[in-house]
Amino acid sequence: MSDPYILFQNVSKSFGPLTVIKDLDLAIDKGEFVSLLGPSGSGKTTILMMLAGFENPTSGAVIVGGQHVERLPPHKRNMGVVFQSYALFPHMTVAENVAFPLNMRGIAKADSAARVQRALDMVQLGAYKERKPSQLSGGQQQRVALARALVFEPAVVLMDEPLGALDKQLREQMQLDIRELHKRLGLTIVFVTHDQSEALTMSDRIAVFNHGKIEQIGRPSEIYERPGTRFVAEFIGETNLVEGVIGTVAKDRTTIALKHGGKLVVETRPGLVEGAPASVSIRPERIHFDHTAERENDFPGTVLDRVYHGDHVRVVLDTPDHRFIIKSDHRMGVLDEGDKVSASFTPNACWVVG
Amino acid sequence: MFKASRIIFGLLVVVFLMAPLLVILPLGFTDSIFLNYPMPGFSLRWFRELFTADSWRRAIINSLIVGTGTTILATVLGTLAALGLRDRLLPFSGFFKTAFLLPMVVPAVVLGVGMQLLFVRLGVAYTYPGVIIAHTVLAIPFVVVNVSAALDGIDRRVERAAASLGAPPATVFWKVTLPLAIPGVLSGAVFAFATSLDEVVLTLFVAGPNQRTLARQMFSTIRENISPAIASAAFLFIVGTIILALFTLYVRAKAQKSARRG
Amino acid sequence: MSAGGKYRRHVAAALMLMPLVIFLGLFFVWPIVSMLSEAVSDPVVVKTLPSTTEAARRWDHASPAVPIMGQALVDDIRATTDDQAMGDVVRRLNSAKSGFRTLMMKTLSAARGSTGPLDLTTVDPRWQDNGYWEAIAAASGSRYTDRNLLAALDYTRNPQGQIEALPPSASNNADIFKRTFVISGLVTLMCIAIGYPFAMLAASVTGWKRQLLLGAVLLPLWTSLLVRTAAWIILLQDQGLINSLLQALHLTSGPLPLLFNRMGVVIAMTHVLLPFMVLPIFSVLIGIPGNLMPAAQSLGASKLRAFWHVLLPLSLRGVASGALLVFMSAIGYYITPALVGGPRDQMISAVIAFYSLNTANWGMAGALGIILLAATLALYAVYHRLTNDRPVKV
Repeated sequence: MSDPYILFQNVSKSFGPLTVIKDLDLAIDKGEFVSLLGPSGSGKTTILMMLAGFENPTSGAVIVGGQHVERLPPHKRNMGVVFQSYALFPHMTVAENVAFPLNMRGIAKADSAARVQRALDMVQLGAYKERKPSQLSGGQQQRVALARALVFEPAVVLMDEPLGALDKQLREQMQLDIRELHKRLGLTIVFVTHDQSEALTMSDRIAVFNHGKIEQIGRPSEIYERPGTRFVAEFIGETNLVEGVIGTVAKDRTTIALKHGGKLVVETRPGLVEGAPASVSIRPERIHFDHTAERENDFPGTVLDRVYHGDHVRVVLDTPDHRFIIKSDHRMGVLDEGDKVSASFTPNACWVVG
Repeated sequence: MFKASRIIFGLLVVVFLMAPLLVILPLGFTDSIFLNYPMPGFSLRWFRELFTADSWRRAIINSLIVGTGTTILATVLGTLAALGLRDRLLPFSGFFKTAFLLPMVVPAVVLGVGMQLLFVRLGVAYTYPGVIIAHTVLAIPFVVVNVSAALDGIDRRVERAAASLGAPPATVFWKVTLPLAIPGVLSGAVFAFATSLDEVVLTLFVAGPNQRTLARQMFSTIRENISPAIASAAFLFIVGTIILALFTLYVRAKAQKSARRG
Repeated sequence: MSAGGKYRRHVAAALMLMPLVIFLGLFFVWPIVSMLSEAVSDPVVVKTLPSTTEAARRWDHASPAVPIMGQALVDDIRATTDDQAMGDVVRRLNSAKSGFRTLMMKTLSAARGSTGPLDLTTVDPRWQDNGYWEAIAAASGSRYTDRNLLAALDYTRNPQGQIEALPPSASNNADIFKRTFVISGLVTLMCIAIGYPFAMLAASVTGWKRQLLLGAVLLPLWTSLLVRTAAWIILLQDQGLINSLLQALHLTSGPLPLLFNRMGVVIAMTHVLLPFMVLPIFSVLIGIPGNLMPAAQSLGASKLRAFWHVLLPLSLRGVASGALLVFMSAIGYYITPALVGGPRDQMISAVIAFYSLNTANWGMAGALGIILLAATLALYAVYHRLTNDRPVKV
């Protein structure tokens, strides 16, 4: 395997007494789409700003394309940045905005005009060249910002919550568009977001940040189904975290003893040690009410609450061992508050966190 | 009842505020030698007086000279300082920001006494540069305030975007920061000119007979022998003010429009 | 930014700030400092009569002074070629002890008309009176004096150096300060009385009505002070529109005296300063959520009580900043009282201008200026505190 294109080595960043990033190692391959996901203040934007050159690491190395860039000023980095709220130049037309990076690179007028046209066509805004940014809708401004960041064919495109200001429908459309551009142009994209579903749908890999450290990095399905830490399990989607102590570890199955006498059966995986405390994550949509033999886990309880969501019903089931949240597509009119039912799920639905 | 009294009160105050301005305008066109109603007839004699009588003509020219000098000096100094104060990079930035407003606060007469003393000693009293300097001191706060407000209104990310797209710092300044701050600079300049045009007190202290400005000339005319030439001069002042105000509003509206986001 | 970039940006910021700092240092701070030092400095005797100053130090203030200081004074007079400086000395000494003018004139011509030793007691027997020498010794005792500052407050030092009040006939600065504060206070009260309800009205309406009300406030603000003052003269004069109207309505039989008196000053200054009251109150009022008054009323408060308990306390900050702004500006006013007031309505600025422009007494002008400046800056400090806690936008 070739060397990673972007490499953070042991990077720390402090603002005065405040350490925002601590001993970060991160490698991103050429052509990869990596999301930096985390709550606000987790340091993800700081990493993007260090990559773009607006912040310098306090210590450690940032290497892009085999070159140390820690002290390289932003305008020499050749990275396309798409900012939160777009940061279009309000005093320039759409075409002038997109031509700006080409002018900075001394590209000839005719060539530049052609490339601006191509970039705008790519984002379906070829007809809006002479407009001012204020005359465009939010989604159109967003696409201009994208065209501007791509027109000079940068090595890397950095996006700082670029879709945060758009409404839900437009945001989903733009997610698809960006994804499509990424595939078509083979771009390397680093994408900062605090929206987990956005990260899940768009990325090749997700790095989940908390308190300036990477909690877990991996493919979206890994992050969702096999969260490495409690934080990841709770931050990505909704989950039931059940606390217990690891009992017997057999070849296929491991049992976890719960506080109130119940037990969970999970799939055995390396690293499970008998007698160690464990948090088990069970996604709400993996729990069912009708019991079958292969669902080795079965927790009878009382329905506390039941909320209709259209595509599913969200049920809160109180059992002696845990208060389960269950997403059921089971539209039983019969299920009601106070009903006695069982929550059942397979060992495969359980994931021992960490 | 309550509502009616509110309307009446509002109208009375509006009349109180506007009446003086409305009353003086027509008198600029009287053909009487008295500044009084009813006007016996209509004439442009007082405007002619304004542009032909030596003292008035001289005063108008002096006001234009001093106003232009003040506008240039105050705009350059104030804009530079506002740029330097941006982001509060330097220690005591907050102190300077407050200190730059003080010329608006210190009573004009106090400043006038001090300037007269010092300017005589420095040899700039009773000269054009002396008057321009004095007016500039008073005009500075308006420029600093206006330019600072315009700079505060610039989204930092726009400048970062320019840098990320390959613009070195100087280019970012010339191509992005300055064009976006221009409306603030312009309204600062307008305020500076208006300040100079209307300044009397410092002019009394530091200007000699050769630098007698329009405002100074109006002051002595009102004081010594008031004539309808005052109303004609007032007419010019008010029309000039309206033009300047409209210009400022236009520039601001334009800037606001281009700064507004979809 | 890179570390070098950060440093460069600091240097650039300092370089851009520097010209204005230097400019204001030279032409704003220095003039004020000059005025301050002029108010307390008294160097003319020390400078013009150096030998006499030297001799005065050796004098015991009891024995006859002529043998010790007499010849020194004669030498100093002969050495001085600067008539203006000598004139200043004479004026300075005469203000300390009357009679000095004639005495010095006599002495000057005697000293200049002769050479060699000269017995001053033969020139004028008054030189035998140690009181005159006492005055010279006092004037040459220090380069600084509190004489002007004391006089600005109607005090002086008696020959024993104690502070005592000047006789009422000699000075009326205290009266003028009192008058300044009374007129400014009246103007401030008028501005509150008109400005507060007007700001409430402007905040309670929307659309063109609000534009009209605010426009009426802003337009005078943009209009030349001189134009507005001239306009008030036209309105208030004996044959002016207001008097004509009153007589036409048979409310008065003859013209009311509205101009060149206290009434005219207060009316014209209220007009000038009203915007500074309306705008801060307005900006506070529109920041108050519009549903608070209905909420208070729904909770059982009458309209008046709702105003008293909700709106008034919330808007007081605006009233306070407006009042400070108006009062602070008013005490320094010069032009309006000078043009529409009578002699008994001149405020402290007019006195300062008189000393400075008409009598070239910069010491007194400076001393009065210090007091006005201190009052203004104190008010501004309070205003600054008040508005910077939570800014009131004007």
